[in-house]
Amino acid sequence: MAPGRPEIDPPLPAAAGPRLGIGVRALALTTAIMAATTFAAFLARPARGEASGALIFVVGITLAGATLGLCAALVAATVSFLLYNFYFAEPVLTFRFGAVEDFVPLIIFNLSAVISGVLAGRVRDQAAAAAAANRSLGALLQISRLLQSALHREDIEQALASPAAAAAGVRLLPAAPPATRDGDGSEAIAAGTSTVALIGHVHDLDTYRVECGGDAIELAVAHGPPYEAVGETLGSALANLVALAMERARLSERIAETEAAARTEALKTALLSSVSHDFRTPLATISASASSLIDYGDRLEREVADGFLRSIVEESERLNRFTANLLQMTRLEAGRPLASAEIVSVSDMLSAAVRRLRPRAGARRIERHESEDRYVRADAALFELALLNVLENAILYSPDGSRIAITLTGQDGMALIDIADEGRGIPRGELARVFDRFYRVDASEQMPRGSGLGLAIAKGFVQACGGMISAEIPGLDGRGTRIRIRLPLAEVP
Amino acid sequence: MAHILLVDDEAALTGVLQPVLTAAGHHVAIAASAADAIAGADRLQPDVVLLDLGLPDADGKSVIRTLRIKQDMPIIVISARHQEAEKIAALDEGADDYVDKPFEIGELMARIPVALRRTRCPDTASHYRSGPLAIDFATRHVTLDGAPVHLSPQEYDLLLALARHAGRVVTHKRLLAAGWGAGSADTQYLRVYMGLLRQKIETDPSDPKLLLTEPGVGYRLAPSEA
Repeated sequence: MAPGRPEIDPPLPAAAGPRLGIGVRALALTTAIMAATTFAAFLARPARGEASGALIFVVGITLAGATLGLCAALVAATVSFLLYNFYFAEPVLTFRFGAVEDFVPLIIFNLSAVISGVLAGRVRDQAAAAAAANRSLGALLQISRLLQSALHREDIEQALASPAAAAAGVRLLPAAPPATRDGDGSEAIAAGTSTVALIGHVHDLDTYRVECGGDAIELAVAHGPPYEAVGETLGSALANLVALAMERARLSERIAETEAAARTEALKTALLSSVSHDFRTPLATISASASSLIDYGDRLEREVADGFLRSIVEESERLNRFTANLLQMTRLEAGRPLASAEIVSVSDMLSAAVRRLRPRAGARRIERHESEDRYVRADAALFELALLNVLENAILYSPDGSRIAITLTGQDGMALIDIADEGRGIPRGELARVFDRFYRVDASEQMPRGSGLGLAIAKGFVQACGGMISAEIPGLDGRGTRIRIRLPLAEVP
Repeated sequence: MAHILLVDDEAALTGVLQPVLTAAGHHVAIAASAADAIAGADRLQPDVVLLDLGLPDADGKSVIRTLRIKQDMPIIVISARHQEAEKIAALDEGADDYVDKPFEIGELMARIPVALRRTRCPDTASHYRSGPLAIDFATRHVTLDGAPVHLSPQEYDLLLALARHAGRVVTHKRLLAAGWGAGSADTQYLRVYMGLLRQKIETDPSDPKLLLTEPGVGYRLAPSEA
């Protein structure tokens, strides 16, 4: 065994081999048996004579041996001899150790005590061994059950480090990854893409090394007492089971990787179609406006031409916002959204967002309700973008002339921003999903108005700040949507 | 000068197109949803419909389908969906033409009279002329700068199908049906025949001016000049 490996400590409390000690309980029982025997012998004596008394003592000793073991039997034999000699052998009521035949009962009594005691001990040992084997097998069965349901390497390690494994004399060893060591030239059993090797065989302890695709697990299986039931065959069977579990874990990891890759691919596709649409829509207006000014500039009224120029500016702004969304999405993905966090006024942020979106709001009335300003710690650009996205959604999905109410309050150390509209709302079952990337409530909306990124970015931002965002219905006057943002209030110095 | 129904939910775009189309001498009505478009077409009987495919309440293709049940006015699709399948589907539903977003106003302005020609001077036209190319439909006579061009019957059928829809895109499917009967040949034949046609009618077949390819969708013959 390599140095540094932990020894298998036999944890079994159950002692093995013939029991040599004699407890208080056994002593009491022996006394009881002897008393009964003596009584029976007294009763039998007048009718059956001296010999029958002796036989009754033999029965008593056998009984003590069978039930209480060798020690009790020997005690019983000695006591029986003394009693027999004193009470039953002629002359009665005296001890006689004169002739050789005076010791015959002693020899016979002790002989039967030894025979019955040893036999009983063997039976008891066998029973104990059977029980131990049962325990080991049960434990092995449980390990194999755990291994069969293991889907990750950690599950396998857990199974091998479980109490069941300890009970079966199985121990997980720290294993170096493959390629740093060879199989010690020992026999390697191929099992699919994994290999099982018996790398150590010291006394009653077998060490197996299981390798599978760049990963390795080493386990020690004891099969000496009290783990005889495990044996070498079961040990290698267990190692093979570990190999299978590792293969399965590897396959399930691969499936997970493939699925993740497929998701990334789907995301890319969605992103590309979103990019192409979201860029083209404002570009269409820009291109149409600019080319109209070139081709028809002389025939257009002054304010119409100005309107075209304004359209170009506004749509450029929209393109810019979309680009910002894409950039911030990657930043959120990279997990560094708070790199440039500062203490910002929520009221200021709301004002900025409303100011920027006012041109797109048409005749919608954007109302502000707030008693006092609140301060949160956030990246200002990302915060503004998140608010713009939520507000833009409220504008996009509500009719012209309707109300959009923005409420700012504080609650339990959080700034609470409510943006509610009178639009078409969201079906109850889909409230949580609106924050998914590229999710749209109306899937039939094939050329959507939003990019499908807006609320996802809002959620990413809010979560990065340690806040919460939720969509609720109804928004205002029993219809529409309410987006509720909670952000932890910042300590204002 | 025409009555135009402009269907798009993108207020920024309609806000630009309406004054320009008006400045170009058209009357423009705007619909921002599929329902508005169908009701508007019914009420206004426009000469041409400019239709965005992505509408808030329904797919634009369903608008084409509904309009075509009762009306035959030209429909020009304006879409940011650049997938060929989408264009073909829209054309199959009965759209006359399409313009990709973003577009320059001149492109749209050029498509409108071409589309209008279908309903205003329908198939009664007896000839086609564009640049050096002239086709007399009655005599099946094709000339290039006055010199006769000899075409195989199939080549002539294909050219005729394009000339009847001059200036508009004709899908692969329709051209195949014109040349070989419905659903019989694949687009590979078409490509070969179009190559042959170009050899015969184009001044420079490698830089076609008359027979234009609409990638993935079909072909377009330059609009007739008279």
